[in-house]
Amino acid sequence: MRKRLPGFLLAAPAWAWLAVFFVAPVGMVVWFSFGYKPSIFATQATDRLSFDRYAEVFSPTFFATFQNTLWVGVVGTVLCFLIGLPVAYWMAVKAPPSRRGLLVALVMVPFWTNFLVRTLGWQVILSPDGWLSTALQGIGFEPLAILNTRGAVLLGVVYNYLPLMILPLFVAFDRVNGPLREASKDLGAGKWTTFFRITLPLAQPGIIAGVLLVFIPLMGDYITATVLGGAKGNMVGQLVASQFQTAQNWALGSAMAVVLIIVILATVAVGAAIVWLVTLPIRASHRLVIGAPATAPASASIHEEVAA
Amino acid sequence: MTTATTTEAEAATTSSPGAEAPGTVVIDAVTKHYGDSTAVDRLSLTIEAGEFISLLGPSGCGKTTTLRMIAGFEEPDDGDIRVSGRSVLGVPPYRRDVNTVFQAYALFPHMSVAENVAYGLQQKRTPKAEIHDRVVDALDLAQMRRFADRKPTQLSGGQQQRVALARALVNRPSVLLLDEPLGALDRQLREEMQLELKLLQSRLGVTFVFVTHDQGEALSMSDRIAIMRSGRIEQLADADTVYARPASAYVAAFVGQQNFFSGTVVEGGTAVDSTHALVRGTSAGLPAGGTGLAAVRPEFVSIEADVAADASGAANTARGSLIGVSHLGETMQYLVRLGDDQSLIARRPSPEAPQLSVGDAVVCSWRAESVLLFPADDAASASGYVAPPTV
Repeated sequence: MRKRLPGFLLAAPAWAWLAVFFVAPVGMVVWFSFGYKPSIFATQATDRLSFDRYAEVFSPTFFATFQNTLWVGVVGTVLCFLIGLPVAYWMAVKAPPSRRGLLVALVMVPFWTNFLVRTLGWQVILSPDGWLSTALQGIGFEPLAILNTRGAVLLGVVYNYLPLMILPLFVAFDRVNGPLREASKDLGAGKWTTFFRITLPLAQPGIIAGVLLVFIPLMGDYITATVLGGAKGNMVGQLVASQFQTAQNWALGSAMAVVLIIVILATVAVGAAIVWLVTLPIRASHRLVIGAPATAPASASIHEEVAA
Repeated sequence: MTTATTTEAEAATTSSPGAEAPGTVVIDAVTKHYGDSTAVDRLSLTIEAGEFISLLGPSGCGKTTTLRMIAGFEEPDDGDIRVSGRSVLGVPPYRRDVNTVFQAYALFPHMSVAENVAYGLQQKRTPKAEIHDRVVDALDLAQMRRFADRKPTQLSGGQQQRVALARALVNRPSVLLLDEPLGALDRQLREEMQLELKLLQSRLGVTFVFVTHDQGEALSMSDRIAIMRSGRIEQLADADTVYARPASAYVAAFVGQQNFFSGTVVEGGTAVDSTHALVRGTSAGLPAGGTGLAAVRPEFVSIEADVAADASGAANTARGSLIGVSHLGETMQYLVRLGDDQSLIARRPSPEAPQLSVGDAVVCSWRAESVLLFPADDAASASGYVAPPTV
C-alpha cells in the first residue's frame, strides 16, 4: 500500500534552505546583539547579556544615520512608486499588446549589468568635471555639486530599484485590464474614476509587492550609499558593514542590524496604517450594506479583502 | 447593400414615422475594419424602441463588433450610429444611454453584489437613500436580494449573471446590450434565463440588443432576428419567417437543421437533380441548367421500411440504408445513408415513429411544399453549413 506524500513536502527544500540560511543567521544576529566585544582581538562574546549595545546604537551619530536611511528609504520608495506607476500603467493598458514583451525586456535590461558597475556609472555622470556637468556649465549652470550628497544616493537608489517597482505593478495592471475597466466605463465612470475605483484597488497586491520589493532592500543598501553618498550620504547598511568588517565589533553591528529590522517593520506597519486611515472615508462613502436576511457576517468580507 | 428580404415585420418598421423614439437604435451604413479584415461592412439596421432584437451568427460575423460600437468601446470607421435619435459618434461609453451585460459578467470582485449594482448610480451622483432603494429594487427584480452583501466570487454562474443584469438595468438605460450573456450557463439554467429575460424585457419595455451564436436562444426570445454573415445582415425578420422562409442557404443552414442536396437545376427551375435524389420543390426561382441547392428540414421527412411497393406517390422519395437511430425525447431521429457523400436526417414524433433498426433498407419521402430551393452558395458550403448534419 502506497501512502500519499503530504503536500507540504513540496516546499520542504525551501523550508530547509530558509531555516539554515535565513532563520539561523538572523537568530545568531539577535543573540550576538545582547553580547559585547570582550577584547581588541575578539569580535563578540555572549557570556554576559545586556541591552548595552542598543544604548550605543541610539547615540546621536547613529541616530542621525538612521534618520538619513529612513529618509532615503521612504522618499526613494515614494519616488519609485510615483515614477513606476504611470510607466507600468502605460505598459499594461495603453501600449499595443504586441509590444508588451519588448517593453518588459527593456525594463529588465539594466539588470544585465552588475549593480556596482551601474552605480559607478552614475559617479562618472554626476562628478563635477563629468560630461553632464560640463554640458550644464556650457549653458550657464554652476558645476554639479550633487555627488557625495543624500540627493545622489536618492538618485542612485531610484535608478537601481525602479524595475523592481515597475514589474509587479505591470503584472497587476495587466490582470485588471479588459472587461472590468470596460464595465466601469459602461456604467458611467470616466477615466479617473475607473482608475481609482477599479484599476488601483484591484492592483493592490502588485502595489504592495512593489513597495516591499523596493523599500526593504533599499533600507539595507550600502553599495549605492558608499559609491555616491560619501560622508554626507551615510546609511545604516554602511555602519553595520563597518562594525562587522572594520571595527570587528559584531555585538554592536548585530544590535544595529536588529534595530534596522525593527525600523523597517515599524515603517511598513505605519505606512500601511496611514494608507488605511486616509482611504477609510473614501471606502466608507462607497460602502453599501443592504442587510438582507441570511447574509454573511461582516467579518467575512474583511477577511476576503485581505485575501484578495 | 444588405440582402435582407422584405418581410411583414420589416415592412412595418420601414413604414413607421421618421422621428426616433427614446430607445431606438439606428445603425446607418456602418463599416469597421481591423487591419486588413472588415469586421462590419456597410451595415444598416433600425432597432425599434422596446424591441428585443438578436444579432445571430457564427464567431467572426461582426455581431460583437456591432454591439461594441453601440456601447462605445469601438468607433465605426464609416457610417453613423444614433441612439434615441442622437448620433453617438465620438461619445465615450460613460456618456451613452446604454448599458451592457458582458459575456463573462465582468463583476467587480472587490465589491459586494450591492456595491456592484450601486456603482452606476454612484457615478451619476444619485442621493444615497435613492441608491439604496433602487439597488434593492434591482436586486429584487433579479431575485438576488438575499445575496446583496456577498462578494461575486461567492456566487454561482447563474447568480453572477443575474447580478450583471441588475447592475445594468438599475441605471434605467433606454437600450440594454447583451453580449452572449447565457453562454457560460448550463442548458437548464440557460433555458430558464431565456424565459426570464424575455419576461423582464416585455415588463420593462427596454430595447434589448442580444448577441448570440445560439439559434435556439435567438428564436425563443427575439421579436426580430438579424442573421449576420461577414459583417453584413443576411436576413432580418421574425423567428417564424427566418425558420420557415430563410432568405438564403446560409440562413437555412444556420437556423435549425437542414438536409441539403446539391446538383443541377432541372424541370424549369423547380427541382435539383443531385446524385442520389431528384428533389422537387414548388417555386421556380432558379435558372434551369445551373447548379442549385435544395433543402428540407428533418421534421418534414417521413421514413418507412423499403417494401417492394412504391411509396405513397410523394413528390420526393429517396432510398437508402439506416445507419443510426437516436432518441431525442419528443422525437426520434433517423440517419439514412443515401450514397457515399450524401446522408439524410429524418425526424418523427416519438409516438408515431416507425420501428426500424440499423441496417434496414428504408425509403424517405417528403412533400414538394417543404422543399426550399437556393442558388449554389460556395461560401455557405465552405464554412461548413451544408455538410451532412451529424447525428
